[in-house]
Order: sequence, then C-alpha cells, then structure tokens
Amino acid sequence: MKRINITYIVFGLLGGLLLIDLVLPVASLMFNIEWATWGAALRHADAIKALKVSVVSSLLTVAIMALLGIPAAYVLARTELPFKRLWISLIFLPLVVPDLAGGILLLQTFGPYGIVGGSFEAQNIRLTNNLAGIVLAQLFVAAPFVIISALAGFRSVDTKLEWAAATLGDSRWEIFRRVSLPLAWPGIASGLMLGWIRALGEFGSTLIMAYNPHTLPVYMWVKFESDGLRGALPTAFCLVSMAVIAVAVSMLISRLTGYADVVPPLSKAMTSER
Amino acid sequence: MSHPPSSLRLIGVCLLLLTFFTLAGSPQAAAQNEESTVSVLYAGSLAAVMENGVGPAFTKATGYAFQGEAQGSLGAAQMIRDHVRTPDIFISADPMVNVSVLMGPNNGNLVKWYVPVASSQLVLAYNPRSKFAAKFEQASTGRLPWYEILETPSVHFGRGDPTIDPKGYRTLFLFRLAGKYYHRPEIPKLLGEAENPDQVFPEIVLMARVESGQFDAGIFYKHEVIAHKLPYLELPPEINQGDARFASLYAEESYTTPSGRHVQGSPILFTITIPETVRHREAAIKFATFLLSSSALLKDFGFGMVDHPIAGDTSLVPAQLRELIARNTKP
Repeated sequence: MKRINITYIVFGLLGGLLLIDLVLPVASLMFNIEWATWGAALRHADAIKALKVSVVSSLLTVAIMALLGIPAAYVLARTELPFKRLWISLIFLPLVVPDLAGGILLLQTFGPYGIVGGSFEAQNIRLTNNLAGIVLAQLFVAAPFVIISALAGFRSVDTKLEWAAATLGDSRWEIFRRVSLPLAWPGIASGLMLGWIRALGEFGSTLIMAYNPHTLPVYMWVKFESDGLRGALPTAFCLVSMAVIAVAVSMLISRLTGYADVVPPLSKAMTSER
Repeated sequence: MSHPPSSLRLIGVCLLLLTFFTLAGSPQAAAQNEESTVSVLYAGSLAAVMENGVGPAFTKATGYAFQGEAQGSLGAAQMIRDHVRTPDIFISADPMVNVSVLMGPNNGNLVKWYVPVASSQLVLAYNPRSKFAAKFEQASTGRLPWYEILETPSVHFGRGDPTIDPKGYRTLFLFRLAGKYYHRPEIPKLLGEAENPDQVFPEIVLMARVESGQFDAGIFYKHEVIAHKLPYLELPPEINQGDARFASLYAEESYTTPSGRHVQGSPILFTITIPETVRHREAAIKFATFLLSSSALLKDFGFGMVDHPIAGDTSLVPAQLRELIARNTKP
C-alpha cells in the first residue's frame, strides 16, 4: 500500500512539473488582465471584424466537417473498405503536419495556379484571400478531430442494435438516422466542439491561404508585429477565453450524456484499429 | 523477483530527469556553447542573406557560432522593447524603427546608437514559370513598360503589408513615385487600397507565393530576390528608394499606419546596433565588425555600399567598432 503511495506522489510531482508549462502561462494571462484598455482594444472596429470573420468561418467549417466528416466516419466504421488503414492514416496526417507546411501544400493546390484553384480561377472564383481560403485551411487542421471522434463514436455503438433495426425492416439510412447517429452523438458532438476550437485557433496555414480578411489569430499576430505585446494580449485573452468556454461546454456535454470525457474518442479510434 | 528496488528505481529515474533539466538550464552548460555564440535578430527580408551568406561566413572567419532570427523590423523592435527577445545584435530595415521604438527614455533606452550597414532597392521580381514571364523579360530590357504588365487584369502580383513591414509602405511610395515619374497618375491605382487583400502579405508568405508560382510577380528588395534566385527587373533610382541622391524626392511620400505611426519616404538603409539586451558582448562586437567590413559579400547579394555615420551616442559605440568606422570613412 505504502509503495503505491510513493508512486502516486512521485507521479503527481512529475505531472505538476508539466502543469508549469501547460497552465502557468494561461494563469499568468488571467492575472494580468487590464480590463479597461483590453476592453477598448477588443471593441476596436478591426478587432470586431476579425471576431466576425473567425466566428463565421469556424462555424462554416464545423457545418462542413459535420456534413462530410460524419458520413466518412460511418463508412470507415461499418464497411470493409479496401486499404482502410491507409485511409485512416491519411486522415490522421494533418494532425502531425506542421501548420505552415500544411498552408504551403494547400496553397499549391487551391492557389490561383493550383490544380484545383486554377480551374476555379477560370470561372473567376478565388479560393484564397477570402472566406473560402480560411475555411479550407481550418478544415485541413480540424476535420481529423471530427472524423476520428465520429469513427470512435460509431464503433462504440453495439452493432446488434443496428441488426435489430434491420430485422424490423429499417433501411441503412433509417438505421443510421434512428440508431447509429443518436447513439454515437455524444462522441461526435465532443469531436465537433474540439474541431471548432481548433478551427478558431488555426493560424499557420491560414496565414498563407488567407492573410486577409484577418481572422482573430492572424489579427493577433498583426497587432503583435505592429504594436508589440500590448497590442496582442487582448486578442490572446479573447481566444483563450473562447477555448476555455469550448472545453467547458464539451465537458458539460460529456457529463449530461454520461459520455466519459473529451479525450477517449481519440484514443479509442487509435487503439481499436490495431 | 526482487521487487523492493523498483520504487527506488522510479525515484532514481525522476532524479535523473530533474538533474537533466537543471543541468540543461544551468549557466555552466549554457556558457560552454553560448559564450561563443552571437544571437542576431534581423529584418525578415534578410533571412536568406543571413542564414546562407553572412552567418556561415562569420562562423568560418571568426569561429563564433551564429544564431539568427528573422522577424519583421517593427515586430522585432517591439519584441526587444517588450523584453520577449534579448538579442546581441539587432539589424533593422529602417533607421526610423530604432529611433521610434527603441531609443530614448520612453522606450527604456534599449538602443543608444546605430550604424547604417548597406542600402538596398525595390525591384519587381517574377516567377520564371509565370505565363507572363516573357513579358517581364521584355520589360527588363526596356522594350515594355513594367507597369503595363501589372495593368493586365489576370496578372497576380503581391506586396508587403504596410501596417507591419517597411517594405510594405515603401511599395506604396514606389507606386506613387512611379505615377509622378512616368506621368501616369493611374499607376498608384494598381494597388487599390493600402491594405488590398488580394495583394498584401507578410514577407515570408509573399516570397513563398511568388516562388511557388501562385503569384506572377511581387515587389521585393533586390537582396531577397538575389538570395532566392528569382528573375527580376530593376526600377529607376527616382522611384526604387535605393539612392540617397533622391532622398528629398522620396521624402515627399508618407503613410500613417492604422495604429497611428507616421512614416515618411527615405532611402532604404539597413542598420546595425548592439542593444542594451546584449549578453555576449564580445561576440556582438565581433559580428558588427565583421558585417561592417564585408562589403564584397554584401555586394554579391545586391546591396549598395554606404558610409557608416554613427547615429545616437557615439561615445557608447565599442572602441573597436568606432575605430573601424573611422578607418573606413577617412578617405
């Protein structure tokens, strides 16, 4: 018994050391809030515009991720797709590709002379330097969260229930709509929430795909470049607050639905593939 | 199965980890590698020149290691003022950045003097695979006015962001000066808004866009274009802001950033200083001396040579450096 305690104490201390890196910077931001000046900075027309761009683009991204990501996850969870592991690895890839590299690759594809961008350009449609460019960059980094959470969600659904529905005459679409989706929803919802906050905070590839109109993270960088820390901190505070709210809401969803936590969907998707 | 040692082993591993972190961060460990390293915070456009040219040459000539960091001049100066960077050397793309952000009691007196290193000029660079490359080539031999190519609606060209980048506002000046020089008042209108989202990008992104062929052309400093091996065409000294003889002409143009900073046209000058944040003084002096005596290397990169008049408090310039400057400017 005693030995376990020592282990816990040591582990606790080790974890505590890590918290210095994870939590202290955020805490110090919270302790250094200058309400008056930051409030004014965040009410600046450019800041409000950036907030609007960020909210609109990230919500669009969430809608697209749901519309395209959930079906993709369902196919991966329920069918014997050839090269399934390859597809899943490819979906994981953007999670480990550096943002800037992702941005450059996106630009080469969707830029005015890119493979896809070129044909849109011919129709006079631009895919960079506008909302489309921002959404493409956000999708690249955030969609994996949704697909993987949804995949784990669908896998956690007992297939016997789906068979039961099938024996009662439900079509595949009805089974999806009435059985699989509702049962997997908590996992999908927390994936969408994580994806949303990842999209909202996306900086590196957005900078390359669409420097303008500025999203909040790009605006923060521009203020850092033009006005230094003083200029960047209010926006940093705004972004961190939104992230805190998103994590809190995600936890609340898990709590209300009895779905374990934010992280399990990811780990489940990774282990069950083995 | 001898279990007792396992918890000891665990504690051992932890101690080892702790020792590692303490050692890695200790002054002794740092001293071994750092005493002979110079950390240089430099204007973003110098990235390729510094990392591929000056840095390696400095290490080869002196044995000191070179640790460079590229940031927009203005952003870099703010970082020094906000104490988020403590470089040994600061190289700015505009003398005024020293004056307005780092010098004087309002700025904590973090810079007390600076010296011009070299001049540069704005050029129009293009991607050799662009479908307009042949036209740009014609323009470079004077058979076609460059601005007429940019007037073609399907030509994509980019420029720096005037709110954060000296090159950005100098490009605004370039087009206004060109309008006057060629008696074509429509030339500045090619840019649209100062912040035209279709054209304006941060330095590094702009270069990536032209290099990857997603932009046909862009306005750059000559040294950037040479370092990145892009074809370019030179512009007349009356508008390229690289010739001190036209200083009064350049000074007719000005721009106010959204955060209220007022900037005026001036010849493009890169300056060097040892800010008060210096931690490796000896290495810093070595580097400044090296850069101020590397005119051949700088010329290869397309810089123009200038005198090195000290601005600010001359008495605070290290003696070694002062002597070098005096020797260079004597004749």
